[in-house]
Amino acid sequence: MEKVECIVVGGGLAGLSAAYGLADAGVEVMVLERGDYSGAKNVTGGRLYASPIRSFYPELWEEAPFERAVARELVTMLGDGAQTTIEVASDRFTADPPQSYTVLRARFDQWLAEKVGEKGGMVVPNMKVDALLREEGRIIGIRAGEDEIGADVVIVAEGVLRLLSSEAGLAAEPVDRDHALGFKEVIELPPGVIEDRWHLNPGEGAAQLFLGNVTDGMLGGGFLYTNKESISLGVVVGMKAMRERAEKAKPQDASESYQLLDRFKALPQIRPLVAGGTVAEYSAHAIPEGGIAAVPKLAGDGYLMAGDAAGLALNALITVRGMDFAIASGYYAAEAVKAAKARADFSAAGLAGYEASLRGSFVLKDLQTASQIPAFMENPRLFTHYPRAVSRLLEQIYTVGPGPTPGLFKTAWGGIRRDFMNTGTVKDAWSARRI
Amino acid sequence: MDIVVCVKTNPDLQMVRVKNREAVVEAVPYKLGDLDKNALETAIQLRDAAGGTITAVSVAEGNRKIRETIKEALAMGADSAAVVDDPALAGADPAAVAAVLAAAVKKLPGCDLVLFGEGSTDNYSGQVGPRVAELLGVPQVGFARKVEAVDGAVRCERSMDEMIETLEVALPAAVTVVSEINEPRIPSLMHIMKAKSKPVEEWTLADLGVDAGAVAARREIVSNLAEEQDRKHVLFEGSAAEQADAFVNALIKEGVLGR
Amino acid sequence: MSDESTMKIDAKLGLDVFKLDKEPHIVIDTEVCRTLCVDRACLYVCPASLYELDDTGRMTVNWEGCLECGTCMICCDKRALTWKYPRGPYGVQYRMS
Repeated sequence: MEKVECIVVGGGLAGLSAAYGLADAGVEVMVLERGDYSGAKNVTGGRLYASPIRSFYPELWEEAPFERAVARELVTMLGDGAQTTIEVASDRFTADPPQSYTVLRARFDQWLAEKVGEKGGMVVPNMKVDALLREEGRIIGIRAGEDEIGADVVIVAEGVLRLLSSEAGLAAEPVDRDHALGFKEVIELPPGVIEDRWHLNPGEGAAQLFLGNVTDGMLGGGFLYTNKESISLGVVVGMKAMRERAEKAKPQDASESYQLLDRFKALPQIRPLVAGGTVAEYSAHAIPEGGIAAVPKLAGDGYLMAGDAAGLALNALITVRGMDFAIASGYYAAEAVKAAKARADFSAAGLAGYEASLRGSFVLKDLQTASQIPAFMENPRLFTHYPRAVSRLLEQIYTVGPGPTPGLFKTAWGGIRRDFMNTGTVKDAWSARRI
Repeated sequence: MDIVVCVKTNPDLQMVRVKNREAVVEAVPYKLGDLDKNALETAIQLRDAAGGTITAVSVAEGNRKIRETIKEALAMGADSAAVVDDPALAGADPAAVAAVLAAAVKKLPGCDLVLFGEGSTDNYSGQVGPRVAELLGVPQVGFARKVEAVDGAVRCERSMDEMIETLEVALPAAVTVVSEINEPRIPSLMHIMKAKSKPVEEWTLADLGVDAGAVAARREIVSNLAEEQDRKHVLFEGSAAEQADAFVNALIKEGVLGR
Repeated sequence: MSDESTMKIDAKLGLDVFKLDKEPHIVIDTEVCRTLCVDRACLYVCPASLYELDDTGRMTVNWEGCLECGTCMICCDKRALTWKYPRGPYGVQYRMS
């Protein structure tokens, strides 16, 4: 059997980050990517938090093809006909260097693949891996079509669906409870229009999340990220919630999940944001949202798991992260493989440094901190009652009707008593203390 | 039989978007031309049946992505490759490309057959094959849908409107092939890995003894825009039968349907 | 391309590049759908609206327009789907996303 030192399954951000570190250290590495190029099968919402990963490969990020540095953060609570937006702009978001950027993957991943090539790594596009080869409990290589290729170590960065690792018994099959579906349109708009609509300086971007009247009461929300010459507008919805909805649906209910985005886009609050835009692409992807409880065993004899395949993603309601985790896990995977190579020990013990580094880094620490969030988010009131109640309260405060207007305090107190002073809210607040 | 296959790197046309009538080629991958793959597959089948070697030859025209494309040709099954890369070739027209290819073929140690796709995937001028044949002074068969080796010659079949023509040409010769000739193989991972160690010659115009002035473009591309589609936006009203009648009448009036 | 505020799902998929294999990468065990499944979650969850019941009530999937998100596979608790990624050069190819 032909053999290389390291095979990376999947040329997304986790796989490429690992390959970059390995190629840079002179390890023979081959990345197998099933798309036409890295990024061709990938979808992001799209924002990459750069601050957590800037110290890895610092030479890379200066020239990375980011779309816009995020200067404005917006959260919109969509009620029935009323909405409330909280907008935060801080000089420090875009201070040198900015903390986060919007990203489009076709461009970004292709660029990183080129960088891997420049370091001497081999990235093979259009190559689907069909199986991980297992011998006496150890991963010894891969099979692609008729060809079996051996490796000292395989970095499994195959993405969220884990088709190969679950088949090889390295990780569980993905389940609905731990995953969400994200789908989006990329809508082209001139840069000047984007900057006007979101009050941005040239080159700066906005990230806007939407809760409430987006997902029909299901776990999830809407998102909008401004790219250079387009916006990414989409919906994320929990798979378990979708399946439960399908269970309850009447046969004549012909509604389908994709319509959530159409309805979202047609809301009077959203229409002006997308007006005049041209839809250029439609995409969808599964998102790991199981938190730390759904992270599989990260390493074993002859293999490491990285990125989405390892469940390394975090939806913390306000901050949604995955790409920084992918790049970080790839970096630590490369470090672990280099160390294993130095000792010529690619067993689970030889690769154990990987999990230790992830535990010591933001990756598993932040997932641990957020360990209660997945359960917290199963509360449907988050996606129905609260966005509505907040908007209703503020709407009443701002309303001047034909008759006498009650005092501000009376209006506010009435609204708070009505929507926030009940056992449900007290319980929700109590469970929120742990997030 | 020693075969040279002339190949070109093309943007993957299926991946090109059109924005304001202009092609968006940013982030579009470059690939071996579709018909070039047919030519290469033809060469592989001839070699595997009768022995010999295959050299893939390409002209860079200022495109650095050529190295990836050549690897694709080697992975499919070419034994070696030669790339002519020279800054003077940026914007080269078909005449210039043919001159360079002919010089490259002459520089190679031996060549019995030069194969081409009938045209390139992108510009599809279809000129390069016949021009190279002329410059090399060898017979040429265009649009072959079958190529077989026979003693000291190749027998080619091509489809003319209502008949099939079979031609036999003595080697050395040049042949261009059409897409029906075969289904090009998809390189396996093993072949892609082995392609890394196959020899690739890198030549400049000076190496070929071609004068930079001789490849200066004599053609200027004035514009390259997507076709504009204008629709008439006619709405037919009335019952289904009335709408159908009105629709058919309108099509007849437009000359789309015959009377 | 369109600047309509909402587009038909087919028109949206028409914006994407699909490289078509001859073989389907999703195969449905329609017997499982017929005998074991009442929820038909696939009809709701697929973001490309690819699942349909044909005239005889048999579940079908227009796999050619698949975005490869895997949602149907994860949500099919009756395990009626054999779901693989398309072979190397095939399937959806995103140019932006």
